[in-house]
Amino acid sequence: MTAPILSTHGLVAGYEPDLPIVRGIDFSVSSGELVVLLGPNGAGKSTFVKAIAGLVPIHAGTMMLNGRDITHVSPHRKVAEGLAFVPQTENVFATMTILENLQIAVAHLPKAKRGAAIEALFSRFPDLAARPSRLAGALSGGQRQMLAVARALALDPPVIILDEPSAGLSPKIVSEVFDMLKAINAGGVTVLLVEQNVKAALAIASRAVILAEGRIAHEGLPEELASDPLVGKIYLGTAHGHQGAPA
Amino acid sequence: MNPQFIMDGLIAGAIIGLGAVGVTLTYSILRFSNFAHGELLSWGAYLALAVAGALGFLSAGLTKPIAPFSFGWALPISAVIAIGLTGLLALAVDALLFSSFRRRGSAIIIMVMASFGASLALRSLLEFLFTSKPAYFTKALQIAMKLGGGLRATPDQLLMLGVALVAVVTVHLLMTRTDIGRAMRAVSENPALASIAGIDVRRVIRTVWFLGAALACVAGIMSGLLIQIRPYLGHDLLLPLFAAAILGGIGSVPGAMLAGLIIGLCEALAVQAVGAEWRAAVSFVILIAVLLVRPRGLFGKAS
Ligand SMILES: Nc1ncnc2c1ncn2[C@@H]1O[C@H](COP(=O)(O)OP(=O)(O)OP(=O)(O)O)[C@@H](O)[C@H]1O
Ligand SMILES: [Mg+2]
Repeated sequence: MTAPILSTHGLVAGYEPDLPIVRGIDFSVSSGELVVLLGPNGAGKSTFVKAIAGLVPIHAGTMMLNGRDITHVSPHRKVAEGLAFVPQTENVFATMTILENLQIAVAHLPKAKRGAAIEALFSRFPDLAARPSRLAGALSGGQRQMLAVARALALDPPVIILDEPSAGLSPKIVSEVFDMLKAINAGGVTVLLVEQNVKAALAIASRAVILAEGRIAHEGLPEELASDPLVGKIYLGTAHGHQGAPA
Repeated sequence: MNPQFIMDGLIAGAIIGLGAVGVTLTYSILRFSNFAHGELLSWGAYLALAVAGALGFLSAGLTKPIAPFSFGWALPISAVIAIGLTGLLALAVDALLFSSFRRRGSAIIIMVMASFGASLALRSLLEFLFTSKPAYFTKALQIAMKLGGGLRATPDQLLMLGVALVAVVTVHLLMTRTDIGRAMRAVSENPALASIAGIDVRRVIRTVWFLGAALACVAGIMSGLLIQIRPYLGHDLLLPLFAAAILGGIGSVPGAMLAGLIIGLCEALAVQAVGAEWRAAVSFVILIAVLLVRPRGLFGKAS
């Protein structure tokens, strides 16, 4: 394992000052990993990744990105420093066009490089290129998710965090999303993926972390977790864990 | 019926429209009704008056009217300076008052009450500094020109209509074609998403204050030039400003301007048809009607 690219140390975070939702998480991702974050509804997965992105107040602890303390860096600076985040809901600007969504995403680049960056995103996501003047709010669930991911990838971030990108999508689109995540990771981007879709997520993950009640309850290789019936039953709400990890 | 009401309505409407663009921008991005916006119009007019006075003191030639208008170079120069100063005033009010409430995540009603307080304080300060006696940019009288169709307008009035048009088109292009415009629309839709999309939300908020105040200043100067300057100049326009912002659809720049013109025309029509004492009721009726029939206004986004 290489040095961690993203890590949290004793992270406590929550929406109200006296109500911690994330209750002391020591966590790290190494460069090149695809880590999947699992756990029951309300476990605090979204709150944890939103805290990393800077959207939820940090009560205690620290976090590091690439060896730099980013605990109190504002969200837009984190983006500039290479941390991309795709939230679980409302992850595109619905009242703006596809092109405008991407123009916002590349605004950190020098003007001369923006056109090429948008072209690169369009060739990677041809569905978006077809009608760039469409309002993002008029896109299908799958297209929206593509746009959200494209937006996050616009600055070639070393790390991307995605919160349930497959939620609400049809099975066919879900497998497209997972293929895409695998490809993104294969391209050298470190991925932290929150998922409910346990089987599909474990299939592409290099490591899995299970969160429960705001703490890390289990951590291990996907095949270990997938074949541990207790883990499956208690934390994943699935009795099929013993069937083994899908290839 | 005398068609002159159309010209009167357009001029009043252009002033309302410019103010309403500021209201619609601050409302959609800061997410509260800033009842102190009217005071930015008044302050804009008085700041321009003060700067123009100082310029005239330095060089009397600057007050010599530029034909065919009623004012000398002192006014356009002071207008540019006053726009900057009004913008700084808005930034100062935000830094001293609203930003601390934002940081604490205060409820909207607290921001609104704070804006009432700011309105009162800013207006009292104007009365203290300049007294409540009306003031004028110029004493020169202008003869209205015949425009055909029974319409008459002074050169000042036509210039002001042109200025309002240029200002609105500029702001509209800024909102739709530039980085900062897209950033403002993004923050207006979803501030959290905007921040993780790389937008500096605090910078956007400062820009919105400055822009809204700049337009308020232009509207205040227009009103001061065409009518008179009083500490209540902006306050008395507050209801039409909000009616226009809501009729136009919150967040829509062209909507606010168009709605301002509609309200100005309706007011002028009401004055002619039923009497001047009904002018103030027009905005109120339009506001209530829009809220009941089409709360998102002409160009508002459905929520
Ligand atoms: N905006 C918010 N304000 C206050 N509390 C919140 C907010 N969002 C979530 N919570 C609370 O935080 C806790 C954890 O929620 P979170 O969304 O992090 O869970 P999750 O693991 O992502 O669940 P899911 O699998 O359903 O997405 C829940 O008890 C929830 O009620
Ligand atoms: Mg969640």
